[in-house]
Amino acid sequence: MSHESVNPVPIKHKYFTPGVIALAIVAVNGLVFLMGRFFFGLGAVTNLNNQYPWGLWIGVDVAAGVALAAGGFTTAALGHVMHREEYHAIVRPALLTAMLGYTFVAIGVFVDIGRWYFIWHPLLMWNGNSALFEVGICVMIYMTVLYIEFLPIFTERFIGKVNLPGFLSILNKPADKVLRILDKGLSKTMFIFIIAGVVLSTLHQSSLGTLMVIAGPKMHPLWQTPILPLLFLLSAVAVGFPMVIFESLIASRSLKLKPEMHILSRLGSMIAPLLGIYLAFKLGDMFIRKTFVYLGEFNTASIMFTIELLFGVIIPLRMFLSPKVLKSRPLLFTASALVVFGVLLNRINNFIVAYNPPYSTSSYFPSFGEISVTLGFVALLVLAYRFIVLNFPVISLPTKPTAPKTKFMIRGEEK
Amino acid sequence: MKKFLVLLIVSFLIFNLQAQQNPSKDHSKLKLDCKTCHVCDVPTKDDPCLVLCPRERITTVYQKAEETSELIVIDQLKDRYGPVYFSHRLHAQMSNMSGGCENCHHFNTSGPILKCNSCHEPNRKREDVRLPDLKGAYHRQCMDCHREWSHETGCNSCHELKKNIKDTKQENSAKKYVGKTHPVVLEPTHITYQTNSDKGKLVTFYHDDHTKKFGLNCISCHKQESCTKCHDVTKKSDSSKKIVSTKKTFEAQHKNCINCHSKNESCNNCHSNKILEPFDHAKKTGWALNKFHINLSCSKCHGVKIPYKKVDSSCSSCHGSWNNENFKHSKTGLQLDETHSDLSCEDCHIDKNYSAKPSCDGCHEGYVYPKQKPGKSVRK
Amino acid sequence: MPDKSRRDFLKKTAAIGAGITALSSPNAKAGPENILSPDRMGVLVDTTVCVGCRNCEWACKDAHGLPAGNLETYEDRKILETKRRPDHTALTVVNEYSHGKNSNLPVDVKVQCMHCDHPACVSACIVGAFSKHENGTVTWDSDMCIGCRYCMAACPFQIPAFEYDKALHPMIMKCDFCFDRTKEGKLPACVSICPVEALTYGTRTELVKIARDRIKRNPDRYVNHVFGEYEVGGTSWLYLASKDFVELDFPMLGKNPAPGVSESIQHGIFAYFVPPVSLYALLGGIMWITKRRKELEEEGKI
Repeated sequence: MSHESVNPVPIKHKYFTPGVIALAIVAVNGLVFLMGRFFFGLGAVTNLNNQYPWGLWIGVDVAAGVALAAGGFTTAALGHVMHREEYHAIVRPALLTAMLGYTFVAIGVFVDIGRWYFIWHPLLMWNGNSALFEVGICVMIYMTVLYIEFLPIFTERFIGKVNLPGFLSILNKPADKVLRILDKGLSKTMFIFIIAGVVLSTLHQSSLGTLMVIAGPKMHPLWQTPILPLLFLLSAVAVGFPMVIFESLIASRSLKLKPEMHILSRLGSMIAPLLGIYLAFKLGDMFIRKTFVYLGEFNTASIMFTIELLFGVIIPLRMFLSPKVLKSRPLLFTASALVVFGVLLNRINNFIVAYNPPYSTSSYFPSFGEISVTLGFVALLVLAYRFIVLNFPVISLPTKPTAPKTKFMIRGEEK
Repeated sequence: MKKFLVLLIVSFLIFNLQAQQNPSKDHSKLKLDCKTCHVCDVPTKDDPCLVLCPRERITTVYQKAEETSELIVIDQLKDRYGPVYFSHRLHAQMSNMSGGCENCHHFNTSGPILKCNSCHEPNRKREDVRLPDLKGAYHRQCMDCHREWSHETGCNSCHELKKNIKDTKQENSAKKYVGKTHPVVLEPTHITYQTNSDKGKLVTFYHDDHTKKFGLNCISCHKQESCTKCHDVTKKSDSSKKIVSTKKTFEAQHKNCINCHSKNESCNNCHSNKILEPFDHAKKTGWALNKFHINLSCSKCHGVKIPYKKVDSSCSSCHGSWNNENFKHSKTGLQLDETHSDLSCEDCHIDKNYSAKPSCDGCHEGYVYPKQKPGKSVRK
Repeated sequence: MPDKSRRDFLKKTAAIGAGITALSSPNAKAGPENILSPDRMGVLVDTTVCVGCRNCEWACKDAHGLPAGNLETYEDRKILETKRRPDHTALTVVNEYSHGKNSNLPVDVKVQCMHCDHPACVSACIVGAFSKHENGTVTWDSDMCIGCRYCMAACPFQIPAFEYDKALHPMIMKCDFCFDRTKEGKLPACVSICPVEALTYGTRTELVKIARDRIKRNPDRYVNHVFGEYEVGGTSWLYLASKDFVELDFPMLGKNPAPGVSESIQHGIFAYFVPPVSLYALLGGIMWITKRRKELEEEGKI
């Protein structure tokens, strides 16, 4: 288990398949409704109103998006901070997922806020008391960090291969030079960004949980707790590796690659303790605040909470404890998918189901337009992911032993 | 002379000043708890520690509703609207059952009737906001009842937009109220209350007994009645024959009764399981009221103190001064002729029983009153 | 070589830390205006006095340039049969509730922004577009707002409304306590028009005293509760009522300021940027140690 197995290359596979075309249709449908939002206002497309100011877009596109992109920082922490080189093969795909994830989070925010043209305001207008300001600033910086972390993949792809069309070809040489300088500079400073990425993620993943604390009694007591930020952080940490496994297994199937089961199994073995800690805090909080009484009420909140905890945490936790699951590709996929589902549902529950305003006349359910846009963004993300892995060295092929050096490791001493 | 004049002016000023400081010299003699107006135990001239506006019955205003001015024009605050024509007399009659004059004139220690603006400032933006301003004070007096009465809160029910006002119209609105009076209040003969008392579920309250026989005023029980108590604005027919069930507390329910009926009185005087008969002096006391007594107020014989003292059924317990010499028999409607006028009372009224038939047997055999009369009938 | 690398590393870490700390200091000072003046103004709403004429609704619209229509049209009492909430067309509304004892005397309750002493919106707003001013007013600044609607999620009284039908420049609409009018020395429009002065404008301290005094003197008329005296840490608008406030659709809120918990969490996480910086240093340390161990292993092998 060392450098030899890490060999990221652009995957040779055709882009368009029936599945991709279906995704493209979903994406276009989403974009159509998105146009409606920009031309006729939020009210025209969404079911949001004064009672329910936040809906599917914040709950899923933003909150769940940030959580599910946690694979980026957890694998970076594992691979680089803990220096476990055997996991380097999955660092790049995880980084790409995180980068695309955060990009779509940013787009999701851009779409959801009423005055999208003022999205830059938080950069200049600061409110240190606001959890949302914290989230906003951290997400902005972290996204920049993610792009910087991704830059070496870009330089690696183009160094020595710059071939601009037409008269621009005279710029080939200078461009190549710029890329080389960039590459060199980045490889010396990358550790700064990697640590910064982990710190920023820790901060905003937890602050995302602080967001709903201020809603106080408007939120169902099953979810409303002062330790929400901790629960958000723990669940984000717990969902990081399952998300990497989930996405890696889908990608390898779709691109007809042999899945790196030996890495994924080892990754999977680390999930159980992380999920366990999350579950312990979640149950502990429930018992300290005695909110389990609400589980006795048979209503949407209690059902959703039970589903979230049972299918999203307890069952996958049991599965990850079994060596059989870790070795089996379908079982590993199922367990990971359940964790992903659990965290997705947790974010939906926190931001939508638990939110029960005092003067609500009807409950909120996302409109067709909202669902379309969300699905459209997911489709676009998958399409972008596919495009990038087909054109950039992201996914490692384990069979080839001769690998160029990984780019984003501490190499200050290397000459 | 000059000196005298100065002295006169000074003494006049001092007197005036004192009068101002002390609007009622003897307000301490009013039937009032000091705490109604003063917060502290010992109010002094410098620190009277007055309650802002006690809004209690410390008013000395009392005029019969019929004697008050018929129409008052309220034009202190006219801006958007013209003046309001207020049918004062009509409203005074209305408030007979709801607190009387002090319902509106709620702060008058003594002396002349105070104007609203002597306490309520005309400006809404002001330093002391403890009392409502003049506009608020006016409207509270009117709208509290009016919205209950008509469910209307629109300005136009009282106000006329200034631009719409013409002289003729002004006269018309003034005329509208001339001669209007409140209709006579219909009294129920009796009300039967359904209670949950274990002493008897039903209480039959003879309203006309209390007003006509016992001489109570409306206001002695009806303190803050709303118009809707009689005027059924919801148009629900509420027949008076129905048995009224009460939900008030024991204290609240007995509050008005206990003023006259002593606490020691047996509950069964009022509580029963059947509807009781009206008050009957004969049944209650065994002494029927004859035509001479039936119209007397209770206090004439029983004194003003409540509970009434028991009275002996002999005439002398009230008419103690009567004797053969000074009693004029003609008062009874029968003027005795000369032969009988010198007799003593007991000669005809055996054993001084004046309610029984007089006997003629003592002198005349076979004579029976009233076939044979010892004189001639006269009109009283 | 390892020595050099370590020095290099530490230097860089220190530089980053210093950079973040430098960034943090303006952050601590920046933020919206949030003044809790002892002389802040308020309004005492006596719902036992209010007759439900809805003149305040008209005056409010008229003062804020919203389509108000004719005052006479507000006499229609049919509209009171449904419960309404303030929105972008009306910053205040009056709702009617049954009296309980007397069906002819309903209880009317005016609803608008409570102008909290510790406003959740001021704390929540991402750009600090909300401000609590010296006179107690909580205002919203259109030039800053990005339309994220976090204020709406945060407000315990569910007051801020959003113009969902506008594609460009939607506004957050809520009562601004007639900030422009009071600056000129005028009364808020609703207070000014109220025929019965059910709305009393004054300093909050004085109003609390008046409210308590009214309860003391008329214990039969009021429930012994001044809504807003302590709710969510106190509000500039205070209410008196003849029946339990829950029955009048007031939310039952504790005495703790709405933003209290979230602010202490925020400040805990960011206490002068110590936790993030220490986390950064810790991670850097771990990274350096694991890296060095690997190198030693490799050197040993070679």
